[in-house]
Amino acid sequence: MSSHSQHSESDIALRVKAIESLLVEKGIIDPATIDMIIDAYEHRIGPHNGARIVARAWVDPNFKQRLLTDGTSTIAELGLAGFSSEHMIVVENTPEVHNLIVCTLCSCYPWAILGLPPTWYKSFAYRSRAVIDPRGVLREFGLEISNHVEVRVWDSNADLRYLVLPERPLGTETMTEAALTSLVTRNAMIGTAKVQVPTPPELVA
Amino acid sequence: MELETSNECMTVEQAKELLRNGINCQIDSNEPGQFKVGDQVRAKVIHVQNYTRLPRYIRGKVGMIVKDYGIYVFPDAVGMRLGTKPQHIYSVRFTAQEIWGSDASAKDALYIDLFDDYLESV
Repeated sequence: MSSHSQHSESDIALRVKAIESLLVEKGIIDPATIDMIIDAYEHRIGPHNGARIVARAWVDPNFKQRLLTDGTSTIAELGLAGFSSEHMIVVENTPEVHNLIVCTLCSCYPWAILGLPPTWYKSFAYRSRAVIDPRGVLREFGLEISNHVEVRVWDSNADLRYLVLPERPLGTETMTEAALTSLVTRNAMIGTAKVQVPTPPELVA
Repeated sequence: MELETSNECMTVEQAKELLRNGINCQIDSNEPGQFKVGDQVRAKVIHVQNYTRLPRYIRGKVGMIVKDYGIYVFPDAVGMRLGTKPQHIYSVRFTAQEIWGSDASAKDALYIDLFDDYLESV
């Protein structure tokens, strides 16, 4: 490990604060702009946007077809395009294919659709191991992929951003689009999880 | 928003526009693509001195073009302030065994987006 990864979080926070103060002092950044951006990612932009796309695709076959053919303009129909999601490719999980997204070069991720990437997505371990040993990485996420299923790893190293369309779980046939939206997790849209149906209360001992 | 932004203080309104509309990396160009879907290609073995989007693990490996995404600005040139050098990006499929050898699953594959300049015919 390189030495910079050994700094504690408080060291990094201190350094960021020092840099921020300097940039504000020199008039290079406006604190109001920074506050607006932080507020947007804390309250408005996040995985719930991606979940809306997935749920719509599950209930509307026509939308799903367009989404898989032209992700960018189909996502724009829902008003969910934006920064770091300008060129979108949606890949579909099926009983034959499981897709996993990584950016080996840095941390490219569809921000407008999934929010900011989780820390593990940016870690050296995930970025190197997701391409070398995807099945091992998925196992550590609790996902055993059958040897009959093809694992496709997508390295989003250029300017296209990827979203996994997870499989709709069995037993959700009668659920509304809004209820389906609440089932879809961030990790399912990266490919490190499947969408689960919550256990009905009467089955919980 | 412009690809190359000035080093001036970004206002709240400019930042809102950036979050809403992003930065378009596609570009109008007649630049012909060197390859078509189905072609076998090799990622060049090159040792770029500057910024690149060609990861080392893919260099020298042979894959197949599965999609032509169209023409985009070339980050290797943009990153060096050398213009946009527009070119095609392809989705290229490599088998896991081509990259990692026989220990990798024979079933699995890696898809990566590669610019024309990174590729040569096999």
